[in-house]
Amino acid sequence: MRPCNSLKLEFLKNWIMGLQRWSFSKKEMGILERKKAIKLSADIAMASARNGTTRWSRALIANAYSKHDKHLVSKGASTEYSRRIRSKKILKRSCRRIRRRSKGLVRERTRILKNLIPGGELMNEGSLIEESLDYIVSLRAQVDVMRSLVSASEVDR
Amino acid sequence: MEKDEAFMAEVLNRTASRQLTWNTEVLNCATEKLGNHFLNPNWDNSMDQSDPFESALSSMVSSPAASKVPVSGENVMMRELIGKLGNICNSGDASCYSTPLNSPPRFDLSMVNLLNHSTLVPFSADPGFAERATRFSCFSTGGDSGCFNGPLMDSFKLSSMAGNSDSDKKNSGVSRSSSPENAESGVSKEESSVSQQIPSQNDAGTRKRKSIPRGKAKEIPSPAAADAKVASENDESNSKRSKREGAPSGNGNAKASNDGNQKQSKENSKPPEPPKDYIHVRARRGEATDSHSLAERVRREKISERMKFLQDLVPGCNKVTGKAVMLDEIINYVQSLQRQVEFLSMKLATVNPRMDVNMEALLSKDMFQSRGVLQHGIYPMDSSPAFPCGYHPQQGLLPLNNGIPNTTETQFSMKTQGFKLPSIDGFIDAHPQVGSMWEDDIQSIVQMGFGQNQPQSYQGSISTGQVKIEL
Repeated sequence: MRPCNSLKLEFLKNWIMGLQRWSFSKKEMGILERKKAIKLSADIAMASARNGTTRWSRALIANAYSKHDKHLVSKGASTEYSRRIRSKKILKRSCRRIRRRSKGLVRERTRILKNLIPGGELMNEGSLIEESLDYIVSLRAQVDVMRSLVSASEVDR
Repeated sequence: MEKDEAFMAEVLNRTASRQLTWNTEVLNCATEKLGNHFLNPNWDNSMDQSDPFESALSSMVSSPAASKVPVSGENVMMRELIGKLGNICNSGDASCYSTPLNSPPRFDLSMVNLLNHSTLVPFSADPGFAERATRFSCFSTGGDSGCFNGPLMDSFKLSSMAGNSDSDKKNSGVSRSSSPENAESGVSKEESSVSQQIPSQNDAGTRKRKSIPRGKAKEIPSPAAADAKVASENDESNSKRSKREGAPSGNGNAKASNDGNQKQSKENSKPPEPPKDYIHVRARRGEATDSHSLAERVRREKISERMKFLQDLVPGCNKVTGKAVMLDEIINYVQSLQRQVEFLSMKLATVNPRMDVNMEALLSKDMFQSRGVLQHGIYPMDSSPAFPCGYHPQQGLLPLNNGIPNTTETQFSMKTQGFKLPSIDGFIDAHPQVGSMWEDDIQSIVQMGFGQNQPQSYQGSISTGQVKIEL
């Protein structure tokens, strides 16, 4: 399933917007910082390309908003997302029994997958797989766009 | 959800075609009515169709009542089939299990209520069974679908044969011939083979029936008891039906219906009760029948269905079956994609900013609103010394260039899209900043590649390497 071009377009559009904001505020940064900023803005762009339809995108935006530079994320959407995520976390914490050991391969791997996918801990198994499906598609689109950019920037050599 | 609904419509159509090949008069006259309803591909109308379908089916069932051939073994087989098909029903997204899915089984139970222990009861239930069988076979993995469909269709045909003929031998012959067939195409093929195979050779029919349903991962209940079960199931289903009436809508509905259905579907061989809005789950033989385990099974089936989708996404997962291995593959794939993103972002970060004063001056104006800007935007690309020593074009990227033409070509074809870069004039710094230079590169690349109205005009001013982008 090849990521559709509209998704890539959306992603790129958002990414450029994010990069503009970021470059506007930062004067100097080392390579690692740049890389982090690039990756973060790319992730946020990818998540916002989903327009809050998927849980992982909401969780990603909420996490980015709470942890990183707030200016990268648009205020309106992120606060709503972070609120949702926060309430979900509270609910989960209160209801969930803390399991120290995961029985069996499947559980172990489900746990790993939950850690991989943003906001995965809050999902039940069924929706986890659904979300991971969508996340994979978005990641592929992101990788494709970034590769295009990289090879385009190499063109002049 | 739409996918599932389309699938259901497809299955119903197939069921209709299957019915039309049935040999008996009863079937033929009934199927005419059925076919009219089944063959309507419009899923939205399925609700309206269901009632006429039901009445047609009931008429069909009641008419051959006199001519039934009581074969207890076949009854049992049919119940097993019903059980299996009930399982099939649940292999799918809960939200898809709206009334359309349930409408076929509705007839079955009404038939059961009408006729007790009639061979035609299971027979009349066949449309729903067959449909569910195909649905189930579709959801099965590729390798399994053939064998699975085989046994189900075998028993399906066995029941149909029961109505047609007196001999078990025919059934066994039919089942044998139909077992190697595959999936949905196999379904229709089997149907025709049924009609042809009526005068087939002799065999221990029950033995054949028992041995055939083997290939699938799901259990196939062995011929079990009793007619008493049917009666009890009827009562149960009635009570459960009333329970289910009160279920809330949406997912809650599906969930409650799952539980209710599971409760009512405790015995394997019971024909499914006419569903309202719920998913009917049938307990398999040897499994716990309490609502929790049944709900768990529904959940598992839902998950396995989604695994199938993921199999298409994750490369190299086609042959992998089993949740643990699939999960492992998914984890690896997600990790590799995330690592790629990291790597690519690091690579992009190493793009040296160009200290091109000209470019700043150009870009600081409000350029990107017009075509003229694009020329300026291209200029930095031409004159850029840009890239640091550590920035090696890698072999691995060359095959990826295929991605660029793909994207850009499509973009060019999407010229009329309202895609316009946000005005960046406000954000362009006059200072040679790392970020802004690099960002301008990206923007110029984007403008070259994406959705500009006259992309061809760029080519003259662009180096040959960049033409690659614009392909």
